[in-house]
Amino acid sequence: MKHFKLFKSSLIALALASSTASYAESIAITNATVHTVTEQGVLENATVVFENGKVTAINPETINADTIIDAEGKILTPGLIGAMNQLGLVEVSAVSRSRDASDKKADITFDASLAFNPRSTVVLHSRKGGITSNVVSPRGGEDMFKGQTFVADLSGEFDSIRVNNNSVLIDLGAKSEGSRALSLQNLQFKLEDAVKAQENKGTKNKKEAKEPSREEQVINALLAGDKALVAHADRATDLLALLKIKQQFGLDLVFVGAADAVLIADKIAQAKVTVVMNALDNLPTSFDTLHSSLKNAAKLTNAGVKVALSVSGDTHKLYELRFHAGNAIANGLSADDALAAVTANVAQAFNLDSGTIAVGKTADLVLWSADPFELSTQVSQMWINGEEYSTISRQDALRDRYTTSSDMPRSYVK
Amino acid sequence: MQKFLPSLVSAALAVALTGCLQSEQQNERVVINKNPYPSTYKALPLQTTLIKNATVLTGTGSRLDNADVLMVDGKINQIGTDIVAEGAVEIDANGKWITPGIIDVHSHLGVYPNPSVESHADGNEMTSPNTSEVWAEHSVWPQDPGFEAAREGGITTLQILPGSANLFGGRGVTLRNVPSHTMQGMKFPDAPYGLKMACGENPKRVYGSRKVLPSTRMGNMAGYRMAWADATEYKRAWEKYDADYDAGKNPLAPERDIELDTLKGVLDGDILIHNHCYKAEEMAMMIDLGKEFNYHSGTFHHAVEAYKIADMLAENGNCAAMWPDWWGFKMEAYDMVHENVAIVDAMKNSCAVVHSDSDSTIQRLNQEAGKVMYRANENGFEVTPELAITWITANAAKSLGLADETGSLENGKKADVVIWNQNPFSVYAQAEQVFVDGAKVYDRFDEKYQAKSDFLLGQR
Repeated sequence: MKHFKLFKSSLIALALASSTASYAESIAITNATVHTVTEQGVLENATVVFENGKVTAINPETINADTIIDAEGKILTPGLIGAMNQLGLVEVSAVSRSRDASDKKADITFDASLAFNPRSTVVLHSRKGGITSNVVSPRGGEDMFKGQTFVADLSGEFDSIRVNNNSVLIDLGAKSEGSRALSLQNLQFKLEDAVKAQENKGTKNKKEAKEPSREEQVINALLAGDKALVAHADRATDLLALLKIKQQFGLDLVFVGAADAVLIADKIAQAKVTVVMNALDNLPTSFDTLHSSLKNAAKLTNAGVKVALSVSGDTHKLYELRFHAGNAIANGLSADDALAAVTANVAQAFNLDSGTIAVGKTADLVLWSADPFELSTQVSQMWINGEEYSTISRQDALRDRYTTSSDMPRSYVK
Repeated sequence: MQKFLPSLVSAALAVALTGCLQSEQQNERVVINKNPYPSTYKALPLQTTLIKNATVLTGTGSRLDNADVLMVDGKINQIGTDIVAEGAVEIDANGKWITPGIIDVHSHLGVYPNPSVESHADGNEMTSPNTSEVWAEHSVWPQDPGFEAAREGGITTLQILPGSANLFGGRGVTLRNVPSHTMQGMKFPDAPYGLKMACGENPKRVYGSRKVLPSTRMGNMAGYRMAWADATEYKRAWEKYDADYDAGKNPLAPERDIELDTLKGVLDGDILIHNHCYKAEEMAMMIDLGKEFNYHSGTFHHAVEAYKIADMLAENGNCAAMWPDWWGFKMEAYDMVHENVAIVDAMKNSCAVVHSDSDSTIQRLNQEAGKVMYRANENGFEVTPELAITWITANAAKSLGLADETGSLENGKKADVVIWNQNPFSVYAQAEQVFVDGAKVYDRFDEKYQAKSDFLLGQR
């Protein structure tokens, strides 16, 4: 085995045991090429200071910190934000007892954050992609409402969940049974009924006014703009119907998938609806997605639509979000827009306090060995809530076990 | 339909006429046609083409800088510097990279095409654990838009396999990635057939749930062994028939069995095994199974745990076709390591292949190989681009039994060539021009060379 580097496997064991550091330490990263993903743009030779989980200063006159890290010119970006996946809800997709993302009976109130497992091996593996937080989406059940999203960081700690029930998921469009029309109709009716109920509440006496059900409370939160409606739909007719509903009820709307969005990009831009999409989807998987293309992320962005990229499909490959962004760049998206599409735009769509490097924002930061989107690049260092975390995962332990010389069976190599 | 080899018929006639042997009156000899759906593929219109001043990864482990590649009559004619070819179409490839055409040994394009509607799900005959009688080529829809997308990613040759629900899924077929409205028009002339086998979770789940064998991994093994035992008898029966016929007797031909024809083809060495198998202990048993029944265990596909038995694979001459990073969707895919391909490759006499099994990643096999190269190099390996390219070219050709025809840029080989805008192992790399048998089949900047499937034509 000529090329194998012998690893001190004990170091990996230590890293896998996870960070338990919880003391508040201030850190300054100096001499970095800081991609703020704000109006500040890119700052060369810049310093970012953070403490207690928040960015406290950018380019301060004097650097005051417990630890100073010289970035040697490397690129510092906000931590990448995953979205629309089942991180921490599924360990092995085909193992039913390791799955908590769906339930036949799940409805609009479904809060899957109660099942989130920060110790999932998928969490550690995803850090290899510089992902520091994630919008987790349950898959729901038979109801068109699939439940509500929650946001978790990738610290692997038991207090990973940052916010739960922050947006409402709905699946629209092509159906294997029945008609898509009925779903749109039901959505319209539910919203109309909720508006009526609110109007009636004022006119009826207190005795007659019923407390709204839990389902109705969620609809009311949608109407109040407290939660976004995150709608999975692809065909232009569905997207247009949703834009109309948004306008009628004043909803905060986010599109997911939206293969046909390119056909009505100006309308989506005007309505300020973010499109969450998989940059690599380019095949006509159904009659709803005839306009999928590798160029769509660029086309939508250039038309003024806010685009957020997500790795749809199996969550185990969440780590390659940055490569999706790279491919979007190869197909016409600017590098700055691509970075925003995996950081600030996700944060904005889901009302998160991260995704940019600015004073007061959550200190989710990644220092890259080179261009963050390039295959040859790796995470040099990463911080979640201002604390440093390793990218070493179970996969590294397995590799080292089988590439270390030993006279004993592999099980003794730990 | 029975067919006869003319030479054997005339030999039999000669024997009858001379009458020097005491022989029975012989019926016509029964001979099984091994190629009843022959290729009708012809290279697209081609011109002598000279590509100048490129970085060339030959697929033989070499990298040549500022090199020229000359394609004449569909073959690689010359590779070197300052090549002059009168009348050739010249392409200035300064700053660009050239590789052999990319080969995917594991695809379901055409049999699980897009749109993936019920009417199109033709990739797996999930009605019996042994369906060696089905041939994937009979399910191929040549209008799958995935072929076009794959061509834009530099794919020139691909093997279409049946799915993995069965112990024996049936025959795979190797195609040229050229547009055609028939399967035969894409079929790689004279490429060996593959036989899809599957280990592990899929067969035992699909048939176990129907309360038929296999419902366990030992059931899987029993299923293979019973089938190979039958195939051994079948082969023996035909050999006896041929021997008796050759001896001048008039034997009754064995009853034709389409299922056993395929297994016999493996035992005869005509058909190559392509075995969906993730786990180390299962691959080790499949190697022994091949030895038990006298066939070679071929290529292991997916092989997520190949790194645990890299030495065994190299020793037994097995290729392993792998992903860079797919994992966790099943228990048997839980032990993924990013360096799997590189660990398998590092053995002497190894055959490491990167495959897709996906209508999406088939478009980026260059990036898939690149991911392995960079992750491996971060962990003590020294993988070069000229080595990594072999995982998706020369080694893939070897796995398909086509090493003498394609997979590398060598004089006399098929001129299957991709011109990349830069180092193909960059996330920004794009295939600019693709050639199959010396004919341009794709050009990123010329619509004339951008094919469109019937399905997408006229959609709005």
